[in-house]
Amino acid sequence: MIYLDAGTTYSKIIAINETFDSQYLVDSNLNKSYYIIPSALIKKQNIEIKKACGHMSNANENEIIALANGCKNYIDSDATVLDLGSRDAKWIRFKNNKFHDMDWNTSCASSTGATVEMLLKFYNLKREDLIFNEEKFAVTCGIFGLEKIMDDISNGTDAKTAISKFVHGIAYNAWNFAKKPNKIYLSGGFCENKCFVDSLKHYCKIELLGRFILCEGLINSDKELVNV
Amino acid sequence: MSIIGFWGYPNPKLIEETKREYPNAEWIDLDIDFQYPDKNILPESYCKIIKNIINNAIELKPIKILAPIGKDKCDSGWFVAQILKDLGFNVEESIFEEFTYKQELKICTSNIPLYDKITIITDNIIKLDKNHYEQCKPKFGFWGVPPNDLEILKLFPNETHVYGWTRCVEAKTPADIELEMFVDEGVPTVFYAQAFCAKAQLAKYLADKYNGLYIDIDDYANNSIKAKIEAFLRLR
Repeated sequence: MIYLDAGTTYSKIIAINETFDSQYLVDSNLNKSYYIIPSALIKKQNIEIKKACGHMSNANENEIIALANGCKNYIDSDATVLDLGSRDAKWIRFKNNKFHDMDWNTSCASSTGATVEMLLKFYNLKREDLIFNEEKFAVTCGIFGLEKIMDDISNGTDAKTAISKFVHGIAYNAWNFAKKPNKIYLSGGFCENKCFVDSLKHYCKIELLGRFILCEGLINSDKELVNV
Repeated sequence: MSIIGFWGYPNPKLIEETKREYPNAEWIDLDIDFQYPDKNILPESYCKIIKNIINNAIELKPIKILAPIGKDKCDSGWFVAQILKDLGFNVEESIFEEFTYKQELKICTSNIPLYDKITIITDNIIKLDKNHYEQCKPKFGFWGVPPNDLEILKLFPNETHVYGWTRCVEAKTPADIELEMFVDEGVPTVFYAQAFCAKAQLAKYLADKYNGLYIDIDDYANNSIKAKIEAFLRLR
C-alpha cells in the first residue's frame, strides 16, 4: 500500500509491505519504506496509491487533516505543529489533546521552500552552506525579500550570508504566523535546513518531526486511529 | 425592461415608494458578481463587492439606484454612491438605521443549506419570503456578509447558523451592531470578510475572541482556502 504526500517540489511516500523505486529510498522500518521523489516524476511512475494529499488532482485527503492525524503520536497534549514546505505553511494547535486552532497560509508562497531552493541554485550554493545569522531580512513578501538579498550582495555581502538572513526572516515569519508559541513541532522539508532550524530556535524551542508526518496521517486516518 | 439597482439593504420605505413609482421594473442586487468586465474605475486591490456595484451599474444601466450609505452598509457605500452620481446615474441615497421593522429570525437558524439561507435572505430584501423553515440547533456558524463567492457556502453542513450582517438583514435591522457582533458562544464559527472590507476588523476580532476561523477572500476562493474551511469544520 502506498501513501503519498504530493508536495509542489518533492513527494513523500510511505510504502507498506511493498517497495518502490530504490533510488528514492531514504529510510525503512519493519514493513514501512520511506521515499522522497521529485514531484515532476510522480506522474511517470506507474503506482497504485492507497491515499494521497497535497498538490495533485486526485488527492483525496485534506493536508491539515493529514497533519493533525500524523502528528498526534509525537507531540505533547498542548502543542503547536508547523508544517513548512515548498509552497505553503500551515500550523495546528492542540490543547488537552484536542484541536484548538489552525491556520494555513495559502496565498503567498513566495517565502517558503521553493524560493530557497531556487536561490541556492541561482547562487550555486548548497543548503549546508547556509549558517544562522543574527540579522534577518523582513520577508513579509518574498519578492521584497529577494530584492533585499540582491541589494545585500551588491553591497559586498557574500550570497550565503545574504540568503541566510533571508532564511532567518522566513523563520521569524513562520514563528509569528504560528502565533509565537513557546515551542514548535516542525514538519516538512525545512526540518532538513539547519540554518532555518537554528534561526527558529532563536525564537522558540523546536522539535523536528521530519518530512513524513502527512503520510503517517494518511495511514492513521485509514486505520481510524485518531478521532478528529 | 427597466432596471432598478440597489445594494445592501435600502430603507423599506424607499423600496416601497420605488416599487409604486416603477411597478414593472426588474430589481437587481448590484452587490452580486455577474462577472461583467472590470471598468477600471476603482483601484485594482479593492473590495470586490464595491467593484461589482460599479461594474454592474455601468453594464446594466439602471434607471434608478437605491444607495445605502449609512451604518447599514459601509463607508465604501457612501463613496460609491458619490462616484455613481458623478457618472450621471440617478442615485437615491438611503439610510436604514432604525429598528422599526425588526422581525424574528426563521432562515438563519433553519436547517436548509447555508447557500439557500443566504440567497433567500438577500432575495427577501425586495420580495418577502413567506415560507416556514424547520429550525435546528447550530453545529457550526457562518459570520459575515454574503460572500462574492457564494460557492464556499456549499462546504458547510445544513446545521450551520448565520451570524453577522446577514443575520441583521434577515432581522430587518442592517445597522444593528449589537446583533452583528453576536454569535452563539461554543459554536465553531467561520468569520468571513470580503478582502479590503472594513468589516474584516470585526471578523478578525470576533474570530480571536470566540476561537473561530477568520478568513478573507478577495474574489473567488482557491482550493487551499476551501481546504482550510473544510479542515476547520472537520477538526472542530
